[in-house]
Amino acid sequence: MRWRRTLLILALLTPGLGVILLMIGSVFYVAVMQSFGYYNLVGEDSFSLEHWEKVLGSKQFSRSLSYSAYIAVVAAIGSVILAYPIAIWLRRPFRGSLAISAVLKAPLFVPGLVASFLFLNVIAFHGVVNQFLMWIGITDEPIRMQNDRGAWGVVFLQLWKNMPFALLLLTGAVQSISDEVLDAARDLGAGSFARFRKVIAPLTVQAMQAALIIIFIGAAGDFAFQVTAGPTNVQSMAQYMVFLKDSFGRWNQAAVVGVSLMILALFGSLILAFISSVVLKSGNKW
Amino acid sequence: MVSLADSGATVAPKKPTRRAGALNRFLMIVLMTIVAIWLIVPFSMAVLWSLVDPETGWNYPDLLPPSLTHLRWVEVWTTTALPQAIANSYMLAPTVAVVTLILASPTAYCFARYDFAGKGLAQLATLLPLVVPGFVLAIFFSSLIFSLGIYSRFLSILMAHCVLFLPYAIRIMTVSFGQVRQDLIDAARDLGASPLAVFRAAYMPALLPGILASLIIVFIQSIEEFAIAFIVGAPNFTTIPSILYSYLGYNFIRPNAAVVSLILVVPNVLLMLGLERLLKSANPAQTGVKG
Repeated sequence: MRWRRTLLILALLTPGLGVILLMIGSVFYVAVMQSFGYYNLVGEDSFSLEHWEKVLGSKQFSRSLSYSAYIAVVAAIGSVILAYPIAIWLRRPFRGSLAISAVLKAPLFVPGLVASFLFLNVIAFHGVVNQFLMWIGITDEPIRMQNDRGAWGVVFLQLWKNMPFALLLLTGAVQSISDEVLDAARDLGAGSFARFRKVIAPLTVQAMQAALIIIFIGAAGDFAFQVTAGPTNVQSMAQYMVFLKDSFGRWNQAAVVGVSLMILALFGSLILAFISSVVLKSGNKW
Repeated sequence: MVSLADSGATVAPKKPTRRAGALNRFLMIVLMTIVAIWLIVPFSMAVLWSLVDPETGWNYPDLLPPSLTHLRWVEVWTTTALPQAIANSYMLAPTVAVVTLILASPTAYCFARYDFAGKGLAQLATLLPLVVPGFVLAIFFSSLIFSLGIYSRFLSILMAHCVLFLPYAIRIMTVSFGQVRQDLIDAARDLGASPLAVFRAAYMPALLPGILASLIIVFIQSIEEFAIAFIVGAPNFTTIPSILYSYLGYNFIRPNAAVVSLILVVPNVLLMLGLERLLKSANPAQTGVKG
């Protein structure tokens, strides 16, 4: 009887979870093997560290890696910092609060490429921003803001797209804190910042970590924002990977970048989540 | 004595409420201004750009385009691959939505109605497609299908999209299966209902909103997905996002990009609004069945 139940559960899991594991597993396997010289589309397969040496030795790779890591950290931390006060503000419903949260979450449903395009229009030569700057007299002629070297455009887009996601997770977590807990903290003389540090932050740390991890991974693997609005003197990891694959079909080197990107996404996001919980806990001891 | 205490109790908390009301109103005005900049300005600029007259253009220092026309829409429609891309996207997305739902349902049923060792880990593992960077998945999936000798672009993208969006469908359907009431199932069985009749009487009412939500969410995601459609589909199989990318890349054509952006976004926004309404109207149906 017991093995029949186990068999039934396995059969039920196969089409959903089984398909996921099979596909993600084989994609991961192909990427790793290709980075070591197997699964070649042309030529012989043989084990080789040559592709890793070539890519890791190139300056372009270290620039891409640190650039993508930088964008991912700023996007994740920035989104959470922006979303926290709004989530706390929207904790208790008031007239219009539903409408506000709907509007704020709208960017979640705008595809990345469309978001890029909308942004490029706003900062264009005769976009609203330049018109405004000239109207208030800060500048006499329009400033070129597209593809800025400091990657401010990409950072802005990441925040625009990801803050709503952080807000979604944090609103749920903040709303589940009961009024009694917050009132008790207030009665004990905690100011609003102390209430945040000692009550809200520790109770919402899991939602915050989930937001940090998912936003970090998404931003580390960004292609659309970088290609359309990013600086032209540096490539993001995804962009570099596509570039290697498209120019002379350097699949093995693309695989090295792909595997590195997965390592960055996995460990970067976990480290960020870990640091955030340590910071919050140390804040608790103040 | 009693009245005094009463009035004290009612007056005292009113003050902070009124202050909070004023603060909320102020914050609301600030926020609405931000929202205008956040959403309204960018989208109206896209609409204007899609209507710019090619004869006069829209150049600095004009605040608004000097003349408007719908010619761009006609031109993009008749001279580019957009109709084909729309056909591709709108054929792919419903197929993905249905197949994903079929694949997700048994797993969701299992998560909702069985307890077994390692269930938490299994549920966590269903999130895997969400944490692998999209372009890594796209590139090495294309490498995988080359080595497997699968040459149908439609089939390849269909497979990848199903896996990519399974986490959403599994999550939604797990909640739905959890809302099916065991007493209703038992009652139907006791009354001698056939398995089909049990399904229709006990399962269907609780599942329907979840089924629709899953279909709509996966449909929208599939229409918008860019990495796989672009890497696996290129160059023969174009979808709406890959057309948009071509206007934002090497040959940046702003009015064309505006037309394609609007074609991509507007139907999805309408669907989302429909979904919101659907979920709201569905709520009483889920909880209103009394045992």
